[in-house]
Amino acid sequence: MSRSRNTAAVSPHRHHAFTLALVGNPNSGKTTLFNALTGLRAKTANFAGTTVERKVGRLRLGDQQVVLVDLPGLYSLNSSSPDERLASDVLQGRLAEHPAPDAALVVVDATNLERNLFLVSQLLELDCPVIVALNMMDMARRDGIELDVEQLRAELGCVVMPVSARSGAGLAELKRELARLVGGAMPESVAHRKPECGNCSGCSFQARYDWTEEVSTRVMDAESSRRSAWTEKIDEVVTHPVAGVAVFLMVMMALFALIFWAAKIPMDLIDHLFATVGTGVTALLPDGDLQSMLVNGVIAGVGGILIFLPQICILFFALSLLEDTGYLARAAFVMDKVMRRFGLPGKAFVPMLSAHACAIPAILSARVIENPRDRLVTILITPLMTCSARIPVYAMVTALIFPQSPLKAALVFTGAYAIGILAALGCALLFKHTLLPGGTKPLMIELPPYRLPGLRVALLHTLDRAKMFVKQAGTVILVISLALWALSHYPQSAPPAPALALQAQAAQLDQAGDAAQAGAARAAANRLTAQYSLQHSFAGQIGHAIEPLIRPLGYDWQIGIGIFSSFAAREVIVSTLAIVYGVGEDTGDTPRTSLYDTLRRAQRTDGSPVFTTATCLSLLVFYILAAQCLSTQVVVRRETNSWKWPLFQIAYMSGLAYVAALLTYQTLRWLGCA
Amino acid sequence: MLVRLDQLPPNQCAVVRHIAIDDEETQRLKTLGVCLGRRVEIIKRGDPLILRVFGSRLGLAASLACQVQVEVCQPDQCVLRENDRP
Repeated sequence: MSRSRNTAAVSPHRHHAFTLALVGNPNSGKTTLFNALTGLRAKTANFAGTTVERKVGRLRLGDQQVVLVDLPGLYSLNSSSPDERLASDVLQGRLAEHPAPDAALVVVDATNLERNLFLVSQLLELDCPVIVALNMMDMARRDGIELDVEQLRAELGCVVMPVSARSGAGLAELKRELARLVGGAMPESVAHRKPECGNCSGCSFQARYDWTEEVSTRVMDAESSRRSAWTEKIDEVVTHPVAGVAVFLMVMMALFALIFWAAKIPMDLIDHLFATVGTGVTALLPDGDLQSMLVNGVIAGVGGILIFLPQICILFFALSLLEDTGYLARAAFVMDKVMRRFGLPGKAFVPMLSAHACAIPAILSARVIENPRDRLVTILITPLMTCSARIPVYAMVTALIFPQSPLKAALVFTGAYAIGILAALGCALLFKHTLLPGGTKPLMIELPPYRLPGLRVALLHTLDRAKMFVKQAGTVILVISLALWALSHYPQSAPPAPALALQAQAAQLDQAGDAAQAGAARAAANRLTAQYSLQHSFAGQIGHAIEPLIRPLGYDWQIGIGIFSSFAAREVIVSTLAIVYGVGEDTGDTPRTSLYDTLRRAQRTDGSPVFTTATCLSLLVFYILAAQCLSTQVVVRRETNSWKWPLFQIAYMSGLAYVAALLTYQTLRWLGCA
Repeated sequence: MLVRLDQLPPNQCAVVRHIAIDDEETQRLKTLGVCLGRRVEIIKRGDPLILRVFGSRLGLAASLACQVQVEVCQPDQCVLRENDRP
């Protein structure tokens, strides 16, 4: 142990804003402190060239601006996990794109000083000014832990500020000290002690642990501490191999129910709002390309994105609360053994569950998995889960096959969900033995003490994820939606003769004063025109082009148009089929039953019905398995940092969907269900 | 006498004496506190097991725990911290 004589104080004159890195162990309340200091002004991006999240916020200290960079939670600086290596690189200025921070604010969990000091000892050895925030002081006091802050200051030789980020206690004092640091008036931020435990013999961490133990013994008086009594009692149940799984299933079902039940009203509202706006714009603008583009391209596209927001917000809010309580770590612990058999880590249940709402937030939530291989497998299989966009398709198919039997329809629905989950597990197993061998990393997870969750953290996290979803998925969905609009709108064709005849008839009826009949005739003419122009558009041509490919699955070229249009969002096939088969656009006031009736009557050129049981089930299987959501692939590209994996994902999912749909159709036909 | 960590009886304090392999995973284990000379205690046996180490609870796969050899503390020694011994 020696005292560093490096007295070069922090320079007060700089050209850039003062950058303060926020470092700390996972579960040390780092995020809470970050939020308490920066509030709503935080932005989330990635560290350049990586998939590690970089959260940046601004903090005003008097007349000074400080940029606060939240680094990933870490236990040490020498671990080989990518997050920890990156954090260590950032602190030492080894990343070209991100200059070294001017100082580090280290968050230390006062209820777990020994463990947290380990990281502090490593940080003190870096040539980076350090200030320590001793967080969760209120909980330490409650747990009967007495900490001698002055003694800790003396041991570390740097500024130590006791705070409670949750309640806000001590934050004003912390800010005052930060201002002193930024102003260059804190020589002790660099002239601190350096434990110098790096090159000891034997276990390279032994000396460091000895140091942290010595320091915490001198600083802490926790004789009466029985902090884990409650936690251990709860853990006896929730980590039990049987009871724990039962609790897990109950929690997940509750979450699932919440996502679908609580999101229903806001989703209906958003749906209604966009339908109203669409109708308004239609009425306001003259018929033509601009009106069609705005209504069918932009408004439909934006509506198609925002409709998922309620589910996504509820999902991230609930997950954040669950994580904050400490339950998520237990769930990963309990599920690890089951998931491991399929080459997935215990934590993969978070994305797999989230994907039942939407694959995009699910893929974002895969960030909870530290190991890159495990994260990649999880991302690859996540879109096989039944997302909300598939539900209208399932509903259409079940209504076509079992119009009179809700029980059978429910069974088909359940089966569809099960096929998605089983296919995901099967593919994970396949990847484990082929593409990504080696299996999952063995489980190693801290089980933090149970705590009451923080609403503020959960709300800010939800807001952050919602913004990320709208920004990432939104732009892509909008572009795809516009492209698909163009493909189904051009080349434009003149209204077909029957439509013109109907128009003429409507004009005559108008003159005769029969407005109701005229309106009906005009609507019929519009339906015919829409049907005719879609059938003759580029999308129609594509439908014809892919017909030979999809005929073995039991589809005709019109279903081909529907499948093609699904690349914006899966549920679009329902409205596309409505236009292709001349039912007219589904505006909400025309009941779906008219679509189903028309589809049931639809015939092939030889007079046989199109939507037989075999075709319907084949279509269902195809929609369960196929990769049709291009915005998911864009997010996968961002999360894996290459185009290789999203392209692979499209290829394997589409291949799987094709083969499975082919087998379904041909088997059912052979069994006589055609 | 050395015992494999996964075979240590629950609530029995022990000191880590040997870690069989040195790879990415055992390095990570060491940063979490399962390191030579540290005291550990099994809270719950099984796979995965729960370990008390360094002030916190750690869920650990048995496949990792079996790489770690520990020495059971004698009842009179257990109150001593490892580094307080002469």
